Amino acid sequence: MPNRRTFLAQGGAALTGALLLPALPGCAPTNSLAHIKGRMQGQDATTGHLLRDPSRIPAPTETFETEVLIIGGGVAGLSARRWLHRHGLTNTLLMELAAETGGNAAAGRNAASAYPWGAHYLPVPDVRNVELLEFLQETGTLTGYAPDGLPIYSDYHLCHDPDERLSIDGHWQDGLVPSLNLSADEQAQFARFFKLIEILKTAKGHDGRDAFCIPLDHASADAEYRQLDQISFADYLTREGFTAAPLRWYLDYACRDDYGALATQVSAWAGLHYFASRKGRAHNATGGDVLTWPEGNHFLTEHLRRWGGGAIQNHTLAYDLRETASGVEVLTYNVATRQGTRVRARRVLLATPQHVAHRLLAGIPGHALPPPDALHHAPWLIANLTVEGLPQGPGRPLSWDNVRYGSASLGYINASQQSVRQESGAPKVITLYWPLTDEAPGPARRRAYQTPYAEWLPRVVAELETYHPGVTPYLKNADLWVWGHGMVAPTPGLVWGGARQAAMQPVRDRIYFAHTDFSGISIFEEGFYQGIRAAREMLETAGV
Amino acid sequence: MVETDLEPVVAPAARRQQSPGLLLLAVAVIATCGLIYELIAGTLASYLLGDSVTQFSTIIGAYLFAMGIGSWLSKFLEGSLLRWFIRLEILVGIVGGCMAPLLFVSFEYVASFRLLLYVLVGLTGVLVGLEIPLLMRILENRYQFKDLVARVFAVDYVGALLASLIFPLVLVPQLGLIRTSLLFGALNLAVAAVVLARFPETRPYRRRFGVGIAVALLGLAVLFGFANRLLAYTETLAFQDQVIYSKSTPYQRIVLTRNPRELRLFLNGNLQFSSADEYRYHEALVHPLLQALPQARRVLVMGGGDGLAVRELLKYPHIQSIKLVDLDQGMTSIFQHNELLLALNKGSLNNPKVQVINADAYQWVRQDTAHYDAVIVDFPDPGNYSIGKLYSAAFYTALAKRLAPGGRMVVQSTSPYLARQSFWCVAHTLAAVGLHTLPYHLYVPSFGEWGYVLAGPDAHWRGDAGPLPSGLRYITPGTIHDMLRFPPDMSEVPTEVNQLNNQALVRYFEEDWGPYVH
Repeated sequence: MPNRRTFLAQGGAALTGALLLPALPGCAPTNSLAHIKGRMQGQDATTGHLLRDPSRIPAPTETFETEVLIIGGGVAGLSARRWLHRHGLTNTLLMELAAETGGNAAAGRNAASAYPWGAHYLPVPDVRNVELLEFLQETGTLTGYAPDGLPIYSDYHLCHDPDERLSIDGHWQDGLVPSLNLSADEQAQFARFFKLIEILKTAKGHDGRDAFCIPLDHASADAEYRQLDQISFADYLTREGFTAAPLRWYLDYACRDDYGALATQVSAWAGLHYFASRKGRAHNATGGDVLTWPEGNHFLTEHLRRWGGGAIQNHTLAYDLRETASGVEVLTYNVATRQGTRVRARRVLLATPQHVAHRLLAGIPGHALPPPDALHHAPWLIANLTVEGLPQGPGRPLSWDNVRYGSASLGYINASQQSVRQESGAPKVITLYWPLTDEAPGPARRRAYQTPYAEWLPRVVAELETYHPGVTPYLKNADLWVWGHGMVAPTPGLVWGGARQAAMQPVRDRIYFAHTDFSGISIFEEGFYQGIRAAREMLETAGV
Repeated sequence: MVETDLEPVVAPAARRQQSPGLLLLAVAVIATCGLIYELIAGTLASYLLGDSVTQFSTIIGAYLFAMGIGSWLSKFLEGSLLRWFIRLEILVGIVGGCMAPLLFVSFEYVASFRLLLYVLVGLTGVLVGLEIPLLMRILENRYQFKDLVARVFAVDYVGALLASLIFPLVLVPQLGLIRTSLLFGALNLAVAAVVLARFPETRPYRRRFGVGIAVALLGLAVLFGFANRLLAYTETLAFQDQVIYSKSTPYQRIVLTRNPRELRLFLNGNLQFSSADEYRYHEALVHPLLQALPQARRVLVMGGGDGLAVRELLKYPHIQSIKLVDLDQGMTSIFQHNELLLALNKGSLNNPKVQVINADAYQWVRQDTAHYDAVIVDFPDPGNYSIGKLYSAAFYTALAKRLAPGGRMVVQSTSPYLARQSFWCVAHTLAAVGLHTLPYHLYVPSFGEWGYVLAGPDAHWRGDAGPLPSGLRYITPGTIHDMLRFPPDMSEVPTEVNQLNNQALVRYFEEDWGPYVH
């Protein structure tokens, strides 16, 4: 069954973080944890301070011209750039605030392994998503088609078995759906839920479209399904008699995993979509299988980058947009070289979260972006932990995804899952995912930014201890990363309320939008689709 | 009581301190120690080299002869005899005490283990042989000759009896050989220490010798503490036979055991071969493939770090080069250096045609560019997900790319009887990557029914294609023919293909072996 859904792919998330970010002092860890090295990563306090007061940014010293300026180098921005390049619009310039493109599909590497800092897998896609399949062929992930017409995926990219295990009372079971010690009623509820999902997977509306699909813009407009967007998933489940505690835990887990929000916070449509949109087929895999890489979806964003043309400027902040007679003029600042630049572009693609786009368009009328706090973006903590061993309890062995029933975090993945080397007892890297859903996103975000490393570390270690009692001495290194706006949550009304569709409309054929915020669901496929959608709009008006 | 018989030869004040009774007690102790060393050497030799009658007999002979040399040499010791005696005890304590640990440790590294064994036995024997004559000379002025001889030898033989009883009944079962050896080394040192402390004439060198004894005792104590690392004694309980070698490498625990009939190799507790019938396994692994490839020049062996498959390959003079890729240097190294194991694999891994590569097989195959006429795949059974990857369709795809035109491979595929699904899963996985497969099996007494799968680009394999090397003990054209037949209780069953993303084989293997484990 599905589990942690692609921990999105949104461009300019680093920019987002920087906007709100106070300094994060690195402090010495407490004594009992003194052997654990590590630090806070992924934050750029200096830039954040600069943004609070753009008047301190030096005036531009040079001017660039480009046909298309893409602001934001996450999945949507890179996907748009690749699409434009493939269709002859090669004069593009992409600006990304972070040191590297990829957005939330960031990755790191140490002596033990490469590892993800965010989005880390892609479910086997629906075969009708031809744009995505084409791209996966470019990356070598899709190696060909079998005589039955189904795609064949590389054995090295399909997640190796054993893929998932769940710890219940210290015993590791196979898979994430709780199956130990269930009462007959609980079992019946699970069975009924999955039967419902099987029906919804094949359900079609009167318009001939799938009730649920990816990209979600292609889903049916039938009221029967869209009304599910008006109520919360939790209310829906209660109404439908899905009340068993293990089932509700599992579904809440799914929502936290995919949306960084609880079942009470997301819409029923989105809660069901998580399961019912998984229609992947392959010759050598099932719809439940996923594609993954040690570096997570950074593998995909690096290919997106390579398969596009045009210049990329990292470390670059766009802070001012103005319309001119011939297009748009954008002021940018390179935080590495400390140089300001004026970019004159015919068209601009804002591949940033909506609240960043909103800020950048402060002086430009005619857009329908919602106010900055309209969307629910939960903050996330990601911990990459280098361990010299994991004291193993009874049950299934170390798997790709390792979750504990009732755990505060979402558990961890094993970055060396795709390695074909024999076990040698060498250190491993595990990546712990922790959406901070205890309080509302705003306060949670402020608290997360203000929490220093020395306070995070004991919490992370304590969490891991609940998975593997006695693991602390085996921990060598713990690097942490806070995503301020981890991913958008599809709160009731967001996906089909109309505002989303209005907000993505281009402004006077000059300013375009692409980001998973415009889908309401933050997964690679949506970011990839949003980029192509925006690129197509641009190509149409440009007449290329 | 004894003192009353004695002729006082030393000042009365001193006499109180240096009772000859103490020295007689020393005789008992050193006699026990001496016999224990002899027993340790004999036991070790029969453990490590087999054939206990020969080993015990020759060790006892050599030891007694060396004692004779020691006794003869004792006449050359002059000056302070007590000082010589203490010196001697320290030496015996160190040499005897370290005998067993040294032999166990060197088993892996020494080219001629037998030579080292006899050198150590000889040295210990000489030193032990010196003890009694020296003590008798020390005591000669304190007893009448008849008393001296009577008492010393009586005590000596009592010590011998004691040793011969406690060695098999208490020491070996409770302490193991290494700790017994160390313990008795310490007893010799204790004798030295007591004599040093109790005899006033040792004063001038008491401090110096005392330090020496303390250091030696400390050394033995440390070794005693580490004895479990040298040879996990607890481990010996897990095996039927005597563990003669064990080592933990980063990848596995290697254990060799021995009984009078055979030598056995275990990796992580799983039997890899028994010297008694491994020829069946390795002949069946190699010859059905190689007899069909009379043109084979280049051969790749994956796994097989014991060199036994390579031994069979070297029976084909037309093979020009053999690459053996084994993960574990700890494994290939002992099979390149140890005398016993070299006798078993005929030194195959040291043959100039053979290149031993210690690398991860999967990684290595993916980056290799050469082509081979024959590939022998001899990995451990797919008992965990890590090894399961070496039986996957993806691995076989990578491996098949390394086959030269007309080349073939053979894969050890577990037991078609005990692990029927697993066996057929391997066959189906090889077929799934486009290879023609030919499963076969035989009976290996140590393992039970065992199976292999031959795989190649076409179905042109013949069981009587070429001449077989002479001197094979199992494989003939007739047995090859017989091995291809599967009776109903092992015949083909449908299985999934083993892919990295389903690891079907490991799951089958767990199912198949489950009933035998629990």
